[in-house]
Amino acid sequence: MSNTYLDQFPAEAKVVRAAFYSSFFALAIGGLFGIVQTLHRTDVYRFMDSADYYTVLTAHGVLLAITFTIFFLVGVFTWAVTTSLDRGVENLRFTWAWYGLMVIGTAMAAIPIFAGFTDSIDMSASVLFTFYAPLQGHPLFYLGLVLFVVGTWLAGVDWFRSWRAWKAEHPDERIPLPTFMVLTTTIMWYIATLGVAAAILLFLLPWSLGLIESVNPLLTRTLFWFFGHPVVYFWLMPTYMMWYVMLPKFSGGKLFSDPLARVVFVLFLILSVPTGIHHQYLDPGIAEGFKFIAMTNTMFLLLPSLLTAFTVVASMEHGARQRGGTGYFGWLKALPWRDPVFTGMALAGLMFAAAGFSGMVNAGMNINYLVHNTFWVVGHFHLTVGTAVALTFMAVTYWFLPQITGKALWSRPVALVQVVLWFVGMTFMSNAMHRAGLLGVPRRTAEPQYEGVTFEAAVGSVGELNAQIALGGVILTISLVLFFANVIATGFNGRSDELPSNGYADALSGPEDAPLVLDNLKLWTAIAIVLVIFAYTFPLLSIVQRGGLFGPEVITFPVSLESLAPIAAALEYGGLATVDGVASAVTGALEPGRIAIAEVVR
Amino acid sequence: MSQSIDESTQTTEIGHDEYDPVGTLALIGLYFLILVALWIFVYFVEFLGNDPTVVTGSALLLAGVGHR
Amino acid sequence: MGALLVVVAFTVPLFVELRTVLSWVGVELTVLESVALAAVAIAALLVWALWPESDGPDSSNAG
Ligand code: HEM
Ligand SMILES: [Cu+2]
Repeated sequence: MSNTYLDQFPAEAKVVRAAFYSSFFALAIGGLFGIVQTLHRTDVYRFMDSADYYTVLTAHGVLLAITFTIFFLVGVFTWAVTTSLDRGVENLRFTWAWYGLMVIGTAMAAIPIFAGFTDSIDMSASVLFTFYAPLQGHPLFYLGLVLFVVGTWLAGVDWFRSWRAWKAEHPDERIPLPTFMVLTTTIMWYIATLGVAAAILLFLLPWSLGLIESVNPLLTRTLFWFFGHPVVYFWLMPTYMMWYVMLPKFSGGKLFSDPLARVVFVLFLILSVPTGIHHQYLDPGIAEGFKFIAMTNTMFLLLPSLLTAFTVVASMEHGARQRGGTGYFGWLKALPWRDPVFTGMALAGLMFAAAGFSGMVNAGMNINYLVHNTFWVVGHFHLTVGTAVALTFMAVTYWFLPQITGKALWSRPVALVQVVLWFVGMTFMSNAMHRAGLLGVPRRTAEPQYEGVTFEAAVGSVGELNAQIALGGVILTISLVLFFANVIATGFNGRSDELPSNGYADALSGPEDAPLVLDNLKLWTAIAIVLVIFAYTFPLLSIVQRGGLFGPEVITFPVSLESLAPIAAALEYGGLATVDGVASAVTGALEPGRIAIAEVVR
Repeated sequence: MSQSIDESTQTTEIGHDEYDPVGTLALIGLYFLILVALWIFVYFVEFLGNDPTVVTGSALLLAGVGHR
Repeated sequence: MGALLVVVAFTVPLFVELRTVLSWVGVELTVLESVALAAVAIAALLVWALWPESDGPDSSNAG
């Protein structure tokens, strides 16, 4: 007899399964669009109109960065809370309700995005996953987003309810580590989503409904990034949770330190939100001083990141030594490299370490100017969310699938090849994206080739970089196909009785060593809010003071292609006066149509 | 609570006090050295190879003011 | 076996960037030359690891 999650919590396992399958569905479609746009912009294979590129890009960004990641993590969190508190959810109907709300929200947001492909439906939302003004989408898109986020809020309520009920029965016990991680992440998410909620409900939705005539674009951008930075921690904290509480177990060891893990999550709760302005280093209208404060806060985030690197590697080493590993580096050989779950997560961590470097470049106010809005940035976040998060989620799926279906994984060798292919494909794609970005190749551009502008490659040529990007994209797509083959074929397997039990790693140094104050969630929430108030009050006030709450004048994009011509002309005139060539690059970017204007405004 | 799949391959049990993560220190130390090297490299490429940017500019300005 | 696969995968980023590094010391490789170099190196690695008598990185407890 096995003792899987399905055996322990059959009803909850169904919710987790539904969340995972929703997330994989988004991954499949988003991944398909990924290869389409890769082949299009590298000019390897173009079969659609370049104006549709931005619809594809919106779907890719929204489906992967929002839908895939968040559906997966609500599944993981539900598993984590129920498993570590050893109790089912308080009210199963409520749990299905928030899941249903997230599904409805996703569908509502997806309809206008996909309607953008056809002219026969008068609806579109090709506003990219950052969706701030002046780009305007159909109201249904914003309503869908709101419902989706409300769904995640209710999911948080569900987890807090479980904890409350558990605490009533165990008044003197420490919060189990996985639940502690879920709760801190949820509080962070509540604070962070206030930004988008305000941006959508106060400005973007009324504006797209025609209730207000204009908005202040800088204000909606700032509110977006108030949420847009911490959302990366909403992806990363569940990933870290997997590294902290699962990876040691797969390595054959124990978590190095439970208290250190708690410290890291508290630091992320405090520091995630007051940093969003680091995405706006190039925004005119925000004073350099505010940007400097955001940069400082960002650099503080290095601390929990390095603590994580240390704790996670030390836990792996503990496993390796228990398996007979020796030496300074020799222990690496003793790790279970044949296990796709372990190997996938380890490779994801390795790529994250590489992303640490490009992240340092992004975070520096000065050096950011060199890479801002270039393909470098795309290379960077395909290492972070596209690999550290996505590859960890895919790898750990190979452990979760048997837990939630009661069926053995279809093929471990295929799974191993899949995770390794992702690493290799991403190496090719991301490396060339970084390099292209250094040459000034812009992101979010269907046809990044301009008359009168040539990008000078330091080594090799732009053509070679494009080929490398396309090669990487193709390998990644093959990897995705293998992933889905495994998930689907596992579904067709029969029930198995010999599955590993549900559980997570013990700690070498347990919660009894952690100071009690770490579990004082109210205190950390209060500190987090104070820091946010410090970081954002003055920037927001000054933005409103200069540009007005609803914007200084009426400017609405995308209205039509015609309205772009005078703007392009104006930009070209202004551009010629300063840097020759940049202007033609800008007009080149305008040609494909509506959305590239975003780059100009950014 | 935890039941490692690979328990069969575990040869020894290492407790908290016997465990000394020297390998981790070696690896993280190596990573840190690479990071610092790359950082210095960026410094040469970006700051010495180009005209002053906003921050270096204001720093120079301050230095200039200081000289007077 | 698993460890060997990962080691091979890990050579990819090294060879991808080797071109850039070599260009600093004045050695300019073409794409084809880098690919050939990588192929030779990986082949050598495989021969070393899989040679019957050797105790490569693929010792049996490596999983
Ligand atoms: C088959 C795998 C993938 C391929 C081939 C791929 C390819 C691309 C390309 C070429 C772009 C840049 C387009 C441009 O700026 O013009 C892009 C953007 C993006 N990708 Fe991917 N990607 C893949 C997987 C992922 C994954 C797994 C995630 C996240 C979990 C992701 C998230 C994003 C996001 C957020 C953007 C930015 C969208 C925007 O600029 O609005 N991608 N992808
Ligand atoms: Cu950020």
